Amino acid sequence: MRAFFPGERPLSELTLSSLKKSFAGTAVIKGVDLDVTQGEFVVFVGPSGCGKSTLLRMIAGLEEVTSGEIVIAGKTVNDLPPVKRGIAMVFQSYALYPHMSVYENIAFPLRVEKLPEDQVRTRVSEAARVLQLESRLQQRPGTLSGGQRQRVAIGRAIVREPKIFLFDEPLSNLDAALRADMRIELTRLHKKLGATMIYVTHDQVEALTMADKIVVLNAGQIEQVGSPLDLYHRPANRFVAGFIGNPKMNFLQGTCTAADGAGITVDLGPLGLITLPRAGSPALVGQRLEVGIRPEHLSLDAPGGFRLTIRPGIIERLGIHTVAYAPLPNGDTFVALFDGDPPVADDTDIEVSVDPALCHLFDEAGLAVGLAA
Amino acid sequence: MSSGRPMIDRYRWYEYVAIYVGMFLFLGFVLSPFIEGFLVSLKPLTHLFSSPYRFWPEDGSFDAYFTMWEHVPLLGRYIFNSLLISSLATIAVLILVVPAAYAFARFEFPGSGPLLGAFLAVNMFSGAVLLIPLYRLMRSMGLLNTYFAMIVPGVAFLIPTAIWLLRTYLLRIPRELDEAAWVDGAGRLYILRRIVLPIAAPGILVVALATFIGAYAQQFIFALTFNSKSEFMPLAVGLFAFFGKERVVWNELMAASFVGIAPVMIGFIFLQRYLVAGLTAGAVKQ
Ligand SMILES: Nc1ncnc2c1ncn2[C@@H]1O[C@H](COP(=O)(O)OP(=O)(O)O)[C@@H](O)[C@H]1O
Ligand SMILES: [Mg+2]
Repeated sequence: MRAFFPGERPLSELTLSSLKKSFAGTAVIKGVDLDVTQGEFVVFVGPSGCGKSTLLRMIAGLEEVTSGEIVIAGKTVNDLPPVKRGIAMVFQSYALYPHMSVYENIAFPLRVEKLPEDQVRTRVSEAARVLQLESRLQQRPGTLSGGQRQRVAIGRAIVREPKIFLFDEPLSNLDAALRADMRIELTRLHKKLGATMIYVTHDQVEALTMADKIVVLNAGQIEQVGSPLDLYHRPANRFVAGFIGNPKMNFLQGTCTAADGAGITVDLGPLGLITLPRAGSPALVGQRLEVGIRPEHLSLDAPGGFRLTIRPGIIERLGIHTVAYAPLPNGDTFVALFDGDPPVADDTDIEVSVDPALCHLFDEAGLAVGLAA
Repeated sequence: MSSGRPMIDRYRWYEYVAIYVGMFLFLGFVLSPFIEGFLVSLKPLTHLFSSPYRFWPEDGSFDAYFTMWEHVPLLGRYIFNSLLISSLATIAVLILVVPAAYAFARFEFPGSGPLLGAFLAVNMFSGAVLLIPLYRLMRSMGLLNTYFAMIVPGVAFLIPTAIWLLRTYLLRIPRELDEAAWVDGAGRLYILRRIVLPIAAPGILVVALATFIGAYAQQFIFALTFNSKSEFMPLAVGLFAFFGKERVVWNELMAASFVGIAPVMIGFIFLQRYLVAGLTAGAVKQ
């Protein structure tokens, strides 16, 4: 990262304003506003088909903008080709050229630029060193493993020395173990290069582990922007609450029976009454509300709190955690996550409890009511 | 049976019998004209009209392969013309088809669908239907009795199939390769030259071979109609020289046919490996 003078606002590297995109009249990106600071690692996360790739490709210059503006380093780039935008992109399929050696693949952008051979060599070997590809330079991509191909694709992006790196689900073709390794490598690379990176994924674990800033997208719109822990602890709405966190947050439907400056009480029907210690306006009374409880906030042996008796049908024991899945009276599945290996058995009632202060609350429109502790 | 075959390729004995009988029937049907033609080329002319007719040549010899050059001095020229016309047609087709197929594979433009359909429709006409109009056209342009007249109509009829073949091949090259190159600053032509063409090389070879064979097979009709100069004749027309006043010199005619096909056959045997690879392999093994 570049050092900033005290008091100076960090430079804005990329600004999207009311960005929209339609394909043949179908709106896919429905008005996106976003500001990305220099050196930030930004992750676009959202379910499949929500428009992440489209948004990234618009920034890259691979898709035309229907309306709105893309500003990179202070310059509107809507009508510039990718190479003039100062971006480099790593594709999901890596898009390596199968007939060229690793060296030529990495050198490709420099060849297009017609850089002299000695400079090409310097830059390619520098990239190969950073990515530990030095011994592979003469091989064809077809002979490399998935992780190595991924690194070649990144190498091809690095040699351009772009202002912004764009990644479209770069790890989705790798197996789970390699994915974990590559996540760490990418984070390390980001620290080393200090470049701005925009990273698209549908995997919230990748988002939480790598991002400085997460942008949660849903159906072509931004649901929330924030740091990983922001989104985890203070989801702005039900969508973000359900999307961020694994296993997913439990949602219990109920009706607000009382709300004042000290607490909001929700009647959860057969599951009882819960009072969340946060200020609520009396106008909430009578509304349908949803209480969100993270599986990891449930405990087996804590005294007090909101108590709930469940009968798990399936129990997953992971050693470090135990996950219990129990049916609720309304047919939903309630998930509880316990540390270690507690004495729970399937088809046996257990009583779990949660601190109401940790619970989330959402109104009929899905917006968060107050903040969880 | 514990043969090394995978389970899906194992058959019972009577299935094997049926498969081989079928194969021999089919091959016999396809190859018997060639075999008979070759045997005829070995027989002295007098035996050809003797009765009872003998299938197997008794005093067979390769004499016809030597005497034919004397009887028809232009034979070498005919063979050369055949190869020349087919080669030039193939080159012309490739020059036109490679960019066209790339455009059909990568660009969406109004009318691309109907145009591809129209190309298919062209294949339903044989060149013969258009011979008279083409003849008048050639005559009014003063192009009769030139190589040009025998090559260009052929090229026109070969282009549609070639575009379909190559387009299919190019469609299998992921679009992301083009996009990656475009992001890195390459233009369309640079992408075509440095990325698409090298990857599509096996496909282009298939198209070249198919076109060459097509040109070789169809040159007869155009040569017969648009050309009457013997020095421009391809082999298929030149063979008429073996039709004498009162008899046809069958053994030399067959010998000449085999010698004419030989260069193409040999080329094929060499390229067959690539042909099969090009037709079956995935375009991009990443
Ligand atoms: N070229 C295109 N033409 C028409 N629709 C498209 C095109 N590209 C994407 N879409 C549509 O836009 C939506 C978002 O796609 P995409 O950005 O690929 O989603 P994501 O990457 O989040 O999975 C999808 O519904 C998809 O069908
Ligand atoms: Mg996508």
